[in-house]
Amino acid sequence: MTETTLAAPRGAAAPGGPGAQDAPSGRPGRPARRRRLDTRNRPLWMLLPGGILMVVIILVPLVVAVVMSTLDLDQYTLQSWLQAPFIALGNYVEAVTSSPLLRSIGISVSFAAIASVITLPVGVAAALATQNRFRGRALVRSLFLIPYVLPAFVVGTLWRTMLQPGGVVDGMLGGLGVHPGLWLNGPLSYWTLIIVQIWTSWPFFYLLVVAGLQSVDPEVHEACAIDGATWWIKLRYVILPYLRGPILLALIIAFLHNINAFTLPFVLFGIPAPQDVDVLPVLTYTTSFQSFRFGLSAAMAICSLVLIAIPLFVYLRAVKLDSGEEEQR
Amino acid sequence: MRSRLALGAVAGLAALGLALTGCSGAGSSSTTSGGAVDGKGKTLDVMIAANALYPTQQQKWFQDVSAQFQKKTGATVKFETFASANDELTKIQTSVLSGQGPDIYDLGTTFTPTAYSTGAFVKLTDDDWKKLGGRDRFVPATLGISGPDQKDEVGIPFLSRPFVMAYNKDLLAAAGIDKPATTWDGLLAQAKKLTTGGVHGMAIAYADGYDPWKFIWTMAMQQGNTILDAKSKKATIDDAAVKKAYQTYFGWLTSDKVVDPAAIGWKNAQAVAAFAQGKAAFLPMVSSSSQVSLDASPMAGKYAYAVMPTVPPGATKLPSDGKAAATIISGDNMVVAKYSKNQDLAFALINMLTSEDNQVAYTKTFGDLPTNAAAAKKIEEGNQLLTPILDAGTKAYGTPFTGAWGDTQLALVNVVVQSIPGLSSGGVSASDLQAKLKTAQDAAQAALNKSK
Amino acid sequence: MTATASRTAGRRPAARTSGTRPISSDVHRLLPRPLLVVVIVVLLVIVLGPVLYMLFASVNSDVSVAGGAFFPAELHLDNYLKVWTTVDLGTGLANSVLISGSVAIVCAFVALATAYVLVRHEFRGRLTFLRALLGLQSIPGTLMLLPVFVLFSSTASLLGIQIIGTRWAVFLTYLTFALPFSTWVMVTYLRGLPKALEEAARIDGASSWRILTRIIMPLSWPGIVVSGIFAFLLGWNDVLFASVLTNPDSRTAAVALQVFGATQEGGAVPLYGQMMAASLICALPVVVLYLVFQRYLVGGLTSGGVK
Repeated sequence: MTETTLAAPRGAAAPGGPGAQDAPSGRPGRPARRRRLDTRNRPLWMLLPGGILMVVIILVPLVVAVVMSTLDLDQYTLQSWLQAPFIALGNYVEAVTSSPLLRSIGISVSFAAIASVITLPVGVAAALATQNRFRGRALVRSLFLIPYVLPAFVVGTLWRTMLQPGGVVDGMLGGLGVHPGLWLNGPLSYWTLIIVQIWTSWPFFYLLVVAGLQSVDPEVHEACAIDGATWWIKLRYVILPYLRGPILLALIIAFLHNINAFTLPFVLFGIPAPQDVDVLPVLTYTTSFQSFRFGLSAAMAICSLVLIAIPLFVYLRAVKLDSGEEEQR
Repeated sequence: MRSRLALGAVAGLAALGLALTGCSGAGSSSTTSGGAVDGKGKTLDVMIAANALYPTQQQKWFQDVSAQFQKKTGATVKFETFASANDELTKIQTSVLSGQGPDIYDLGTTFTPTAYSTGAFVKLTDDDWKKLGGRDRFVPATLGISGPDQKDEVGIPFLSRPFVMAYNKDLLAAAGIDKPATTWDGLLAQAKKLTTGGVHGMAIAYADGYDPWKFIWTMAMQQGNTILDAKSKKATIDDAAVKKAYQTYFGWLTSDKVVDPAAIGWKNAQAVAAFAQGKAAFLPMVSSSSQVSLDASPMAGKYAYAVMPTVPPGATKLPSDGKAAATIISGDNMVVAKYSKNQDLAFALINMLTSEDNQVAYTKTFGDLPTNAAAAKKIEEGNQLLTPILDAGTKAYGTPFTGAWGDTQLALVNVVVQSIPGLSSGGVSASDLQAKLKTAQDAAQAALNKSK
Repeated sequence: MTATASRTAGRRPAARTSGTRPISSDVHRLLPRPLLVVVIVVLLVIVLGPVLYMLFASVNSDVSVAGGAFFPAELHLDNYLKVWTTVDLGTGLANSVLISGSVAIVCAFVALATAYVLVRHEFRGRLTFLRALLGLQSIPGTLMLLPVFVLFSSTASLLGIQIIGTRWAVFLTYLTFALPFSTWVMVTYLRGLPKALEEAARIDGASSWRILTRIIMPLSWPGIVVSGIFAFLLGWNDVLFASVLTNPDSRTAAVALQVFGATQEGGAVPLYGQMMAASLICALPVVVLYLVFQRYLVGGLTSGGVK
């Protein structure tokens, strides 16, 4: 039987931790037996389908990409790519020293972080607001999804048309007496990218938080009501802890996705990209498919991968997202 | 863990397997000597741009071509379309890398040097030209971008889309101007005269990804600067002629004020829209593709085409070393992939497509100009709108034929892109422009140094 | 507290929709009413504003849209008819639905199985596996395009199985790219499920497969639906891989849509009207699918399921 008290979130969340390590709620003194149970019946074969797919279709091409990054692979040597001259770290040196790579990484990382952090409360608010039944809720929930469903290049074209000088947005703001200047070039373009990215990706947070909200124990609501907790207290101390997992996951995934988002800046600003929005994916795309320097582009992408993987794993350990051990409250 | 070792081994073996197949051999060409080519049971794969302006007509054309070819050789033709030039380039790269893909590619002329540089396309011998119907059946100017020189050509001209200027007949008549000037300075003077009320003299798309470099190239060529010299591997962007070109181009907006201030954010479509709504008198750098949009707009019947000026800014006649470049050689070339197993069949198809009758029919349906000289003469009769475009086609010069041109083009546009914030707040200073030209020069030179 | 516990013990079925309990909705409300209304209205305005622009643009002339007009001067309702012939949108949509749908279903279940092992069982390398899954998320698509193509074309030449150009190429690619994230969604979700039911079943001698299908799956519909949606959308909107891995028969809607936006240098205005119309048409299946499946996005916990 489960305890249904205000402490329930901790009880409900804890069993999700590593199966054998912690003492399960209400059942002290039997960890040894549980561990053996788990190890004996491990259905590791269930890992095979996903594992094989990911090794073959992601890891193997990744190895190929690493090999390509050590070759002087460009339009002249593409035809027999294995015979392209081997230049070891030559591409990496060029990527770091004479290409705009580091600057692009800076722009991309800051843009991704800001966009993810600002989008978070929007998505959470939407999920909270549509959690309870009201007339038309299904429709509202589906409408909320639209910005995320629209393909990135449509969103890019749509906003580019809206933000062009003399376009709809300028017209509206002009009516209010505000003249911000050029949206699609110059210093404001960075914020344009952030705003459009927020518009198109907040349903992502919304979806994840909605899923997380479903695991909230319904008795908790009654318990709060009986205890006379206000909505803010209830939200902050009872509901949000349930959402910790989904929110942390959404943050990191949105961050990674924003760093690698290519289509939106490509369509919104075109190439060559204005200085302020020369983001990383557009840079690697142009290097690869416009300048045809595949080796250099692979080196750039791998550099950025390494640079991003480090804070990624730091984040994972810090919030214990990987091992799932929540901090004891 | 053993299973992890196993996984690692699988990955390693797979990578090794990939390595072994990474060497793509050249496809064998089946040479059937003389006579008609027999292609019974075979299918040719052609990659061509999707024509969004005439989609149903294009579908019908695909079927007609396949039927006609089947009657001739017994082989059918399968067409694959791409949406944009970028898509086609990506497809070419993946096909070149893997050694499999379409037999024939229909390429934009500006991308022919890039395709050539991969070495994956068939260099046309005299024999091949014979199979194609003879090199002299083509309008001479259209062959200018088929290869670095006559011995190493890969591109067979298929369509011609020269760039010209559209102008508003009514606005010009009202201002008492007979026809557009043939010098850039003259054109500017006319534009100033036409800039009154809500109308501006010119519609220029400063934020477009393609238009700007063509203006710069044209004006530089007319001053004798070819931007790149492929033979001596020198880039000449950091040069007075190019500087003058940019200053003229920017000046239209900032000092002469013959362009709508909103134009700094315009892509080509917005410039066309402004002209189509009667807000601009001149619309330079358009091709016959604009006919469809203009005929469907309030401008239908009120516009005409004219050859763009051929005298550089700051001069009244062409300098001695200048080239009277009215337009780049623009259009489509067809190239045959070396990995194709049906090369003779491919030549037969291209022969058919560039024959006089097929070319005339294509022009009548789609509006693009023919490269077949006899066909060009035929369509000239009775079509006033197209005459200036045909004329411009004869005054076309090719962009430098080198694999470095893609990067150079990007660098030239980049100067404009990074200047836009400055332009919107009044102008770009000479020193600022100089610095940007130096950056572009370095980029182009680096690409040239890498080229083979 | 005991009163609450005894009331709830053993009464609830495995999966139920919220609202069957006769409790005033105020108790379950997470935000106070006025705030709730404000949030929903503001979000609807933000979402629907640009969509309204799209709607107007889809019936406007291309030249007017290029010029930045909001209200259509003249109605071009035939845009909605023209889109079907300008590109093969019908085939594109069919392919997209087929491929994305299969990816979503297969991915959701493979992710569920993988996540189940990762969350409930301990094995050497478990943490590494989890971290690697997240690390895979940071790989950019442009890096992978040529290598994946090389992989498939090598398979063709080595094993004689032609993958490129068939629907399998994009199906396998999307499935694999969607797996890491879907697995993580399921991991996060499964962590929130109480273990009591599984333990009871284990004691009763159920195999892992039974536990997975009979107990975990019914409880995880919200997680399954959400990870399915993400997998679906990944395949639905991808252009880069689809444009090189498909041929005209297996072309997806996303690639077909590109044609509308293509700018032909030289004065042809892109088909804005048809592009907006086609985009709305393509967004429709996903929204409808979500409308259908969103009723599974409800709490499915049975805190009282353990006797």
